[in-house]
Amino acid sequence: MNMALGSRGGWWPALCVGTAVTIVAVYLLLVASNWIYLGWHDTLYFFSKSRMWERFWLTVWTSTVSTSFSLLIGIPSGYALSRFRFPCHHLVASVIDLPIVVSPAVVGAFLFGVTTRFPFDWISEYYGVYIGRNVYGVLLVQFTVTAAFCARLMKASFDMIPTRFESVSRSLGASPMRTFFKVVLPMAKNGIIASMIVVWARAAAEWEGLMLFVGATEGKTDIMPFAIYLDWNGGMMGWVTSMSIVCILMAVSAITAMRMIGGRSNVW
Amino acid sequence: MSGKRKRRRIFHAVFYSFAGFLFLYSAYLFLSNLDQLFVTEAAIQTREITSWGDDREVLNQFGGGFWKDPYFWKSLNLTVVITLITTLIASMLGIPTAYAISRYRIPGMSVVEILFSSLIVMPGSVIGICLIVMFNYGPLWKLQNALGFRFAHSIFPGMVIASLVLSFALGLSAWKAAFDSVNPRFEHVARSLGSSRWRAFRTVTFPLAKGGIIAGIILAWTRAMAEFSAVLFFCGTFHELPASRFSDFTRLLQMDQADWVSVAVWAQVEFGNIEYAFALAFVLVLIGGMSVYVMHRIGAKGYVW
Amino acid sequence: MKKINTMVVFLVIFSFFLVAQTYGTEKSLLFHAGLGQRMALNEIKEVFEKRYPDTKVNFSYKGSGYFIADITRSEQGDLFMPGEEFYLLQAVERGFLTDYNPKTDVPAYFVTVIITPKGNPKNIKAIEDFAKPGIRVGLGNPKSCAIGIWHEKTFKKAGIWEKVKANATLSAKCIPELGNATQHKAIDGTIVWATTAVLYLRDVDIIPIEYRYRGIIRLPVGVLKFARYREEAQKLMDFILSEEGRGIFQKHAYAVNPGIPIGKEGFCLDGTTDKFMEYLVNAAKAVKDESFPVTKETVGDLAEEVLRQRKTERAGD
Repeated sequence: MNMALGSRGGWWPALCVGTAVTIVAVYLLLVASNWIYLGWHDTLYFFSKSRMWERFWLTVWTSTVSTSFSLLIGIPSGYALSRFRFPCHHLVASVIDLPIVVSPAVVGAFLFGVTTRFPFDWISEYYGVYIGRNVYGVLLVQFTVTAAFCARLMKASFDMIPTRFESVSRSLGASPMRTFFKVVLPMAKNGIIASMIVVWARAAAEWEGLMLFVGATEGKTDIMPFAIYLDWNGGMMGWVTSMSIVCILMAVSAITAMRMIGGRSNVW
Repeated sequence: MSGKRKRRRIFHAVFYSFAGFLFLYSAYLFLSNLDQLFVTEAAIQTREITSWGDDREVLNQFGGGFWKDPYFWKSLNLTVVITLITTLIASMLGIPTAYAISRYRIPGMSVVEILFSSLIVMPGSVIGICLIVMFNYGPLWKLQNALGFRFAHSIFPGMVIASLVLSFALGLSAWKAAFDSVNPRFEHVARSLGSSRWRAFRTVTFPLAKGGIIAGIILAWTRAMAEFSAVLFFCGTFHELPASRFSDFTRLLQMDQADWVSVAVWAQVEFGNIEYAFALAFVLVLIGGMSVYVMHRIGAKGYVW
Repeated sequence: MKKINTMVVFLVIFSFFLVAQTYGTEKSLLFHAGLGQRMALNEIKEVFEKRYPDTKVNFSYKGSGYFIADITRSEQGDLFMPGEEFYLLQAVERGFLTDYNPKTDVPAYFVTVIITPKGNPKNIKAIEDFAKPGIRVGLGNPKSCAIGIWHEKTFKKAGIWEKVKANATLSAKCIPELGNATQHKAIDGTIVWATTAVLYLRDVDIIPIEYRYRGIIRLPVGVLKFARYREEAQKLMDFILSEEGRGIFQKHAYAVNPGIPIGKEGFCLDGTTDKFMEYLVNAAKAVKDESFPVTKETVGDLAEEVLRQRKTERAGD
């Protein structure tokens, strides 16, 4: 690149690199603007309040729970979508992808409609467990948005493993189940770890569904992004910006962890 | 032999059932809410008490009478036009950027990758807050005051910027993957045969990566359509403002007194017009579903939203 | 690989434990309230939960116009405190509340006040200034926001409603949106409740309205007929209506004196609330200026609020 800038058509690399650098600078400014606004003194003040860490803990544990359920459902689904060919499989894959493609606000509205009918009202009548304006509602919304996401990620990583290994294993006499657990899963290890972390970060970032479906209960259902919206409505700019900083740090550290453990730094 | 067949059948059944569960869950979620479009007796009584103005008759029809309401069509128009503009800008900025990141070794590349990946998993409200803080405080605010117009709470720069942030990040991921899949050798061969860099890109790399680039454009457009929080925080709603507040240009394009469709869903739910809100939501679902189906049919592999 | 397997299994089991720990046997009341009352109601919840440890209060905040639709659909809720009596009367009409007594069930009142961004760039001094051309006014949407009704009433009384509507820049879905827009200088002025204004003391200037146009809004509270825990809901309502509850409201810039003379439409008949307005203006000055004395004479009951807001450079907490 160094030698070629002056030669024919050298403007093209310069344009590309220039655009890239400018855009990256703008995005960095966007992300750092919270910090610049808040200042060091106020940041320390808000970080020392227990309210911040209560919400942080709520976000962490609800995301962990939804992630584990999503993984449980997402890994086999991803395998099925990747390996099996059944009729209308494009249609099925599109329908499964639908909750993550449309805006989460729309998903929240639909969940609000769904929980007033079978099977949810049956569950709440017979078991007394009421899913709605409480933490179970949060888990349900997070599960809806992340299960399909997990299936998609796992499908992508299973697609990258050639089927030859499974054929070899089957030809050596292993049953399909054993092949899956002993051959396919270890090879997909990086993919599983990456999915786990990204799905966790996505669950921690889900709030539009909560706004329309769960409503606001201080301390019980206001996970971090939702708390940002509520405090924004209360004009508490200090809380808003400090919580934004925490959310940004959570997302960045999740992606960094994924990179260090899984070796891939991108979601795709 | 039959033991092995049975094991394979059980294996298939187990895995199909997981995928089938997801499929049924998603289908149930969307289809079972179709009856929300119909007006119930309780809703009519409620509207008797609460409705302001004379839109009660219209709202009591199927889906809140959405096809008769100019607000519905204007909002759709607004959203589609703005997302097209956003996609255009994202492509014009994103394709060169993706090419640069893919081909040239820029120092600090890992920071860039981490930055864009974390934008995709970041909450929308954080992005909205960052936009407001960036534009309404500090040196950019003084610049806006000097120029005489504001970025926040406006249609043209405001909504475009709000949907551009994430649409660009996602498009970039797809375009980078597209350029990564083209062997740089082809370009070197072209250059060694005498073409300039731009010509090599235009005639060799671009056609080879075309599938991925188109997938990236559809991805960027879909993500822009699904944007909600950033638009809500940065722009708000424009429904009840007087028509005189909008510029002639906006009125010409039939975009005055309209809202972004996702924000309109939320607003109508807040007002209590549930049928109307679900009509808007179903329109969004249809649009999203169609673009996902197209993405699957053209064989886009491995792209995640 | 075994490590990954055990990790996933551990995660699933751990999740069950985490979920189970939230499934308590405590009674939790669902309280539908307007978004503008969050701070005062949070404090009331803290005191109440300390006094009755096995009852939890969960708030469901939403814009005022959405209450009826939501309660009709979900048929859940123990207590109801909208941002204006108008919405409670709708609920009474619909049959959701059975025993509402307008004389006793009103714990607090809102008072309307003008706010502008810090520094008052367009120099707004009175209601009439909102009709000047070029002022960007924020109005509330009466369909979803309690203050929308009062914007219309106040400006119609002053005879400038059409001109102000032409100046409207923002049609807010809920009252905090108006406060935010003023804080971010997106509008030049608006009318909000004193309770909302007190949240933004650092970033706005407060201008009292002359008492002819100052509105006093009744804020009733009631127990819904769908209440699952009627006794506890009644206990909470009694607490809100008690002296202690009213004291908490007063600290957050509500008016709690039922003896304020109010005209037929809800506007003040004399200057009884002028002292309250003076406290508010002083509080705004005190938060911006460290040397301003904070005493009972200068800011009344708002002292705690002022001291709390002084602790940070940016608005918050």
